[in-house]
Amino acid sequence: MTEDYTPFLPLSPAALHILLSLAGEDRHGYGIMQDVARQSDGQYKLGPGTLYDNLQKLMTQGLVEESPKPPAHDDPRRRYFRLTSFGRGVLSAEIARLDTVVREAKVHLRAPRRAT
Amino acid sequence: MRTCYRCLLWLHPPVFRREFAGEMLWIFDQAAESQGALALFLDGLGSLARQWLLRSGWWKIALALALALLEVTFGGFGMLLFGRRHLVDPSFAAPVSDVAEFSHHGSIAHQPLTIGIVMYLAVFVTGGLTIMVIGLTFWMKTFAARRRPAAHRVR
Repeated sequence: MTEDYTPFLPLSPAALHILLSLAGEDRHGYGIMQDVARQSDGQYKLGPGTLYDNLQKLMTQGLVEESPKPPAHDDPRRRYFRLTSFGRGVLSAEIARLDTVVREAKVHLRAPRRAT
Repeated sequence: MRTCYRCLLWLHPPVFRREFAGEMLWIFDQAAESQGALALFLDGLGSLARQWLLRSGWWKIALALALALLEVTFGGFGMLLFGRRHLVDPSFAAPVSDVAEFSHHGSIAHQPLTIGIVMYLAVFVTGGLTIMVIGLTFWMKTFAARRRPAAHRVR
């Protein structure tokens, strides 16, 4: 049975970047912020308010969940987050949607402009 | 600035504050130099507004109150329109016995407290209260749904 992801699409830029950041590995809040800045070459910077506001929403929707802390030398105050399988499905659906948009945009931008 | 940011976190809804305020303050300490303390503070302000208005369901109460006020205000305008003659000419005042008659011949300022006036006011007060109760009910439902464990939540 395939799940319907359409109610969650399109994702906001912040939600998209957060999910993208968690797709690779489990991260804590500050790690997500740094990875989002890296993804966008520093053009999009998340503040902690925006980050946790979105994380709360994504957790409520079941797209993200808290992961057990790694036992290593990490700061005990840090909480780690990970993508759920449902969240991965939503992210994939959003990427597919964006892919269509990009392809469409390329076709339109390549086409010669008609004089009006 | 750290103290201001801490106060800002304290103003967030309790559920959010308990869950994330500690980490947000920790990130503020880490990122204040690279991102700028003011930028982080403004980001926190945005988060505060979103949390109270969008996530906590308080907007429904605010909307209910606004609608109730709107209704009462328009009721007042209605009085000005329909009871205008009495405001201009107090001698026009005459006893009224029902709501329909009151709307054409009466104004609160110049009428004794009749059953018509009481009913007229009761309609507005009851209407306003009904809207507020509906808003409150929706808000309570949202609150109950948010507290339910994610596993039992219907998508």
